[in-house]
Amino acid sequence: MLSFALRRFALAALILLVAVTLMFLMIRAVPGDPVQIMLGPRATPELQARLTAELALDQPIWRQLVIFYGNMLQGDLGTDVFSGRSVTQIVFQQLPFTLELIFASIIWSAALGILLGAYAAAHPNTVIDRTVAVLSVSFVAAPAFVVALLSLLLFAVHLQWFPAIGVGDGFWDRLDHLVLPAFAIGLSWVGYIARLVRASMLEVLGENHIRTARAFGLAERRIVMVYALRIAILPVVTVIGVGMGFLLSAAVFAEIVFARPGLGKLVIDSITTRNYPIVMGSVLISTGLFVVSTALADLINAWLDPRARTST
Amino acid sequence: MKIEWMKAPTGRRSFLKGATALGAAAAMPMGWAGHAFAQDAGTLRVRAYGDAPNMDPAHSVGVVEEEIHASIYNKLIQYKPGSEWGWQLDAAAMIEQVDPTHVKFALRDDIGFTNGHGAMTAEDVKFSFERIVADATESPNKPDMGPLSHVEVTGEREGTIVLNEPFAPLWSIALPYITGNIVSKAAVEAAGGRIGSDPVAESGPYLRASWSPKEKTVLQRNPDWKGDAPAWDTIEIYPIDDENTAEIAFEAGELDLTRVSLGSVARYRDGVPNGGTLVENPSLFYVWLGMNLDHPKLQNKKLRQAIQHAIDVPTILEASYFGAAEPSTGIIAPGLAGNRAQGMVAPQANIEKAMALLAESGETNVTLSLDILNKTTYTTMAQVIQAMLAQIGITLEINVLESGAFWASGDNEDLQLVLNRFSMAPDPSYATAWFTTEQAGIWNWERFRNEEFDQLHAAASAETDTAKRAEMYQRAQDLMEESGAYRFITHEATPVVHSSRVVPALRPDGLSLLRYFGKA
Amino acid sequence: MTDATIEKPRSELGIILTGVARNPLGLMGLIIVGAIVFSAIFAAWIVPYDPIAMNIQDRMQGPSASHWLGTDQLGRDTLSRVIMGGQVALKVALPAVFGAMVIGLTLGMIAGYGPKWLDNMLMLLFDTIRSFPTVMFALAVVALVGPSLQTVVFVVMATSIPTYGRVARTQTLTLRNSEFILAERSMGASMARILGVHMLPNIIGVLAVLAAMDIPTVIALEAGLSFLGLGVKPPTPSWGALLKDGYALIRQTPWLVVGGGLPIIIATLGFTFLGESLRDVVDPKLRKNR
Repeated sequence: MLSFALRRFALAALILLVAVTLMFLMIRAVPGDPVQIMLGPRATPELQARLTAELALDQPIWRQLVIFYGNMLQGDLGTDVFSGRSVTQIVFQQLPFTLELIFASIIWSAALGILLGAYAAAHPNTVIDRTVAVLSVSFVAAPAFVVALLSLLLFAVHLQWFPAIGVGDGFWDRLDHLVLPAFAIGLSWVGYIARLVRASMLEVLGENHIRTARAFGLAERRIVMVYALRIAILPVVTVIGVGMGFLLSAAVFAEIVFARPGLGKLVIDSITTRNYPIVMGSVLISTGLFVVSTALADLINAWLDPRARTST
Repeated sequence: MKIEWMKAPTGRRSFLKGATALGAAAAMPMGWAGHAFAQDAGTLRVRAYGDAPNMDPAHSVGVVEEEIHASIYNKLIQYKPGSEWGWQLDAAAMIEQVDPTHVKFALRDDIGFTNGHGAMTAEDVKFSFERIVADATESPNKPDMGPLSHVEVTGEREGTIVLNEPFAPLWSIALPYITGNIVSKAAVEAAGGRIGSDPVAESGPYLRASWSPKEKTVLQRNPDWKGDAPAWDTIEIYPIDDENTAEIAFEAGELDLTRVSLGSVARYRDGVPNGGTLVENPSLFYVWLGMNLDHPKLQNKKLRQAIQHAIDVPTILEASYFGAAEPSTGIIAPGLAGNRAQGMVAPQANIEKAMALLAESGETNVTLSLDILNKTTYTTMAQVIQAMLAQIGITLEINVLESGAFWASGDNEDLQLVLNRFSMAPDPSYATAWFTTEQAGIWNWERFRNEEFDQLHAAASAETDTAKRAEMYQRAQDLMEESGAYRFITHEATPVVHSSRVVPALRPDGLSLLRYFGKA
Repeated sequence: MTDATIEKPRSELGIILTGVARNPLGLMGLIIVGAIVFSAIFAAWIVPYDPIAMNIQDRMQGPSASHWLGTDQLGRDTLSRVIMGGQVALKVALPAVFGAMVIGLTLGMIAGYGPKWLDNMLMLLFDTIRSFPTVMFALAVVALVGPSLQTVVFVVMATSIPTYGRVARTQTLTLRNSEFILAERSMGASMARILGVHMLPNIIGVLAVLAAMDIPTVIALEAGLSFLGLGVKPPTPSWGALLKDGYALIRQTPWLVVGGGLPIIIATLGFTFLGESLRDVVDPKLRKNR
């Protein structure tokens, strides 16, 4: 198990390295000059030259890459030359906004999804089961940004039940601001998780020890809720790891539509202004998040199911 | 001196009839205390279209930061809110132009800097102004201070601004805008000569209490401010780049003031939700279709003129701005010296003339590309132009670019046609500066090169006779239009909506002067 | 129709279709997808108006007898643009999904059958692509080569290759040690023959189902890119572009958002229903994996 964990994390580090290098090369190949874009039309040639040098843009690409990795290993993601603030600070200032959005989405969608899935599995092939099936397919089908747009219009502008923009101050206010964006990006996960739980529940309910429990005359409700569900939600845990990446992409739309600060917004803003240090810093953190959460998911999976340790 | 608008803008204040009922209905859902009412009575919430990380006026990149700087720093003079350009005293108790190159001033004696940096003195003024033009500062705003030689300190709070040559924009730009902000010499020197994202020492009616990047900036009343007390205790500034999002936030009751899109003007004229008011101001921005004179496909002047005449500006304005903007005659807006009453090519298209010009040009099967920014306004505009050019037999392909790639078009030699929009400060020299030979391939994307134009641009900013100066700028725009490389479209407009709690103080072009905002 | 992607003899196809149609949701999916494909193919004949003809006087109207879904900011008929948009959606989705499937299948089979180092490298590649948030990758690519239909197809294809690759690899790994493959190998069959003749038919069914279920994701992705202004060039109508314009004008007229949003949701539902019941018919075992 330990050697599997080590191998898995070595792979994660390798993926991160390749991904960040690829992004580095790609973004440098894109036309656009950060110095010109960020400083605007009036910057003096001297200032432009100095910042170009500070950004190492006058160096060959491979040297820029070496410099970037050199600094990164020392825990330094560079400085945003335009505001003079450290990139680490900038990225970590935005990260909590995205994380709270992702976690809020996971929590409500997992809770509702597990409930629906378990309920459907406990009543297979009834009207309820079919309704849940249709509902979950419909939820999965709803693109996050369409849901975001429509819920913004309905709940924030017309009904004014929830705030339309920003993140709020203080715990309750922040929570209030999370409702709509988390709803928008979590909706498709409700359907996904419901289906997953239903399938694994059905499987578990058919297994030996459950049948034994039934034979001992335990109440059906107790069987479903205590024994079966506990086992059946395990796959959900691993799925959430992979879900991180999808949620990060969906968060970009939620952050745009609800004018929230966050990692997605930071990435888009920094790519469009070609602010390379911030692009690289935020790409590193967001791919890092994804890579680590998938690795963790794999580990949990391997811990639960020893057969999985040999593949990979 | 005062810059007058030739056509006084009608600050339209729409009254709400049907909208009041609608707004009231929307605000009372199911007994839930609407968020619109969860606000603090002393807090003003406004939107800026970008974040303001930089508190150094010397490195300010524009109006977003200036809105904050103007509240936390003082200038000798400030713009006056209203529909006509003008200035009023701020830190200066007295200021007068003794001759074309000398301006005397005396400071008020009750302004002090925070963080124990003491009273504001003439030394601070000297430091702040000379710092802008010093090479070591590398200030992008250096041209705003123009031919400043130095500031002579004649007393603790008295001094004289000395110019190398007469400079007309001194009163319209240099003193009341970005470069006019006075910072504390002691504080800036202690900080190593450069202010970062922390203002170091403030003196204005507001202090910057906090800044959460990309989320909001909070200004709070300066307890030590001795001038006229500002009306609001706290001002929250939210960076929201998308106008549509800002409008939604305003309608949801979460903002007190925001610029809105021109497309929404017609709707707001019929009524602003939540009892708000629409204020329509003209704008100084200029939008135009440019043609790259260096591109092999655009060498034929008759072809360029055919394009000029084929484009119907009123239709474009109707389609992309819903009729909320007027056609322009050039790059200098009405109200500024040098605005042309009429252009050489009428705003309306003349298809017959365009066809004739195209026939004369001898070009056939013309296919061109048009680069635009990926905003609905421009995609709409581009599609209208595409349809218009199709009428005279020119095929147009539209390239939609995200902002990073679009603003890098300066060195794009393959650029053919481009829809462009530049921002502007209230002085004509600000506009002509980008179309000189020196700027070709940098910000002069048409690569328009004209010696007479360059001379006019240089000479006009030293010309103090307003009428002569205006003539020079008019001639300069004639030259641009004659080249066939420009089809001027509009100066847009600055429609602003505000809630019923606010009495806004806006510049004639609709930008906020936060320190003068009142309560309703 | 989508069944074109399933390379099976007619009779088997008939069995599959009957199986799908027996399930009410499958039937619904079949009808929706059929309608979309039909309207996309015959779009040019069935649109009530020229989808790019402007009529600025009649812009931003609500639904009426002459314009069922109203008009946009240039007075173009929204219904016509929705129908043409369906064509664009399929023009992106079909080649992207097909391309991703073919490339993913090839790479996945090579990874599953080839030497270990090659397997490791390919898996690393798949994981790397997967680890980029899609939007970030799309932004960089679009900024690099400019937005166009081809760019969108490329982005969508590149981001979905890993899914197909991983499934194809897993299937290959399972099959490579099965008795009939071992028997073939002992008789000296070439790698190409084993992969092409023996493995392919066993893997392609699973991938085809995956592809049918992937089409809605791809349509939503195209719409998302167009919504960010990174999609197809104007004046080409696309559902995402309709949504983008609709969002900008949302309080002037809600009909553009409805016109752009509903088809995406309906198409997604249709393809998902179809894909689900297709999967149940083709490979019931897969059910527990999704």
